[in-house]
Amino acid sequence: MRLAGVPPKFSLYLYFAGRRTGGMAAIEVDGLTKDYGEVLANDDLSFEVAEGEVFGYLGPNGAGKTTTIRTLMGFQSPTAGAATVLGHDVTDEGDLIAAKRRVGFLPSNPSFDEQVTGREILDLHASIKGDERREELLSVFDPPLDRKIRAYSTGNVQKLGLVQAFMHDPDLVVMDEPTSGLDPLMQREFNEFVDREKAEGLTVFLSSHVLSEVRRVCDRVGVLRKGRLVTTERIEDLLDRTGKFVRVRVAGDADPGAFAIDGAHDVVCSTTDGGGGDADSVDTPDSTDSDGPVSECTFTFTGDVNDLVARLGDHDVVDLDVEEAPLEEVFMRFYGETDA
Amino acid sequence: MLEIARFEGRHRVRGTAIVTAALGGFSLMYVVLFPTFAESLGTDIDELLAAYPEALQKAFGIQTLSTMEGFLASELYTFFWMLVIGLYFAYSAAGLIAADVEREQMDMLLALPVSRARVVLEKFASLAVPLLALTVVVPVVVYAGTVAVDYPVDPVSLFVLHALSVPYLLTFAGVGLVASVVFDRTSVAQRASLGLLTGLFFAESLLTDTDYEVVGVVSPSRYLDPNAVLIDGEYAFLDAAVLVVAAVALVGLAVVLFRRKDIA
Repeated sequence: MRLAGVPPKFSLYLYFAGRRTGGMAAIEVDGLTKDYGEVLANDDLSFEVAEGEVFGYLGPNGAGKTTTIRTLMGFQSPTAGAATVLGHDVTDEGDLIAAKRRVGFLPSNPSFDEQVTGREILDLHASIKGDERREELLSVFDPPLDRKIRAYSTGNVQKLGLVQAFMHDPDLVVMDEPTSGLDPLMQREFNEFVDREKAEGLTVFLSSHVLSEVRRVCDRVGVLRKGRLVTTERIEDLLDRTGKFVRVRVAGDADPGAFAIDGAHDVVCSTTDGGGGDADSVDTPDSTDSDGPVSECTFTFTGDVNDLVARLGDHDVVDLDVEEAPLEEVFMRFYGETDA
Repeated sequence: MLEIARFEGRHRVRGTAIVTAALGGFSLMYVVLFPTFAESLGTDIDELLAAYPEALQKAFGIQTLSTMEGFLASELYTFFWMLVIGLYFAYSAAGLIAADVEREQMDMLLALPVSRARVVLEKFASLAVPLLALTVVVPVVVYAGTVAVDYPVDPVSLFVLHALSVPYLLTFAGVGLVASVVFDRTSVAQRASLGLLTGLFFAESLLTDTDYEVVGVVSPSRYLDPNAVLIDGEYAFLDAAVLVVAAVALVGLAVVLFRRKDIA
């Protein structure tokens, strides 16, 4: 649905028509381009985020994620293209203000006036946009409200940022790298929190450069690279294609051919004979227990897990490690380049 | 409405208290100093002054130092009030927008359902705290001081001088505000506005009666004359109106520029 060229009256009609059917997109980006002169930060991006969806905006640092978010929030105007947030044109200040009453925002590096307390910050936000959910949120995220911001840790600043983003009970929350400042415990709490909000019908647009941090909460992801959208797909599909990163140590002498099964990519093996001569053996004292050479093989696996288990059964497995493949692997595998 | 102005204004209270106390104390010092000064030198001071080049006298706005009015007009008002306090307002205004952009706090503010015009206007409005405090406290201190040392000045002229200086100080603040919107770094905005205003201040006084006098037309200091107000009781309301228009135009320009700006 392209709203850019539609006369205002008609787009208003579409807006209400959309509301009636409940099919309106919370965010619509159409041909969005931002050219900073020396760098084309966003290049002809088009995607939609549906109401009630948790959309992950992924990409390595410098891919242009923040540029899109800043354009959606009206902090800068696009060079070309159009975008709407909750049906409101992001290039029309008055129109976007109406949307902002129902939008929560958490910047990548939330920054507050250092001289004041967290409570004063929340009071200011409350006086402008409301705070019906403040107390409830403070029971989940609990920054030291009566301390001045300058004494806050990074984690506490992030918590304060989360509280202000959700306190007016928004319909849409836009978060730029929300998990970056959180410790693993808080990250889990954050994930559970987003899950609960999603169940209540909240739409979330969040960016990240670490897939594993957000994969649990996202329904769908858009992958951005060098300003271009390389794919938009359901998280399951992406993870299926991404596969697992496997590291297995087996007794005996194994070569890459040992794991030449469907779905194994880039198999690399190295053998240590337990008697020194290989630097690796210094770090793996237990390899001597097996009384013989040990091989370590690593590969990315996108096939059927049963095939992998069957093949592993052919070996005397010393150690096995299976983890989510990093996002960088996805780029390498599907888009042929690394971002190093 | 005015939530941002109140928030910003509250945090100006401490700085305002310090500046007001400092300037109040300073004014009092001048007032208390005058009798000793006048009694030891008498009217000789003006003869002494006549020995100085006229341009220098003009540059420092000195008309006469033999009366309390002339002494305050040149020593306290022309220099401290018009230049130092003027620059204080420009300096404060230069930080209003640029500091938030520089510290990445502007995003948080603009994510709120507020217009950019409102952000600029309310932040500018927070300068009302120091403006009101100085405009009320300083003349009271000065008048009370002159009465106490038995050289009372005309209270009406004194309060008119402060009233006329409100648009003058707002014009200085307006220049700082425009710089604050144009530049993303506070220090650059402050240097640019302070450099420009100091330059204009001295250009106006030094170029008076020269072929380049016309340059002084754009200097705010052309439109406020403490000597005329305190010594002669001449109130240039038209000049004040020029400053009101200038201040409004500068704030309007800042709003227009900020509305079009990509926040870095």
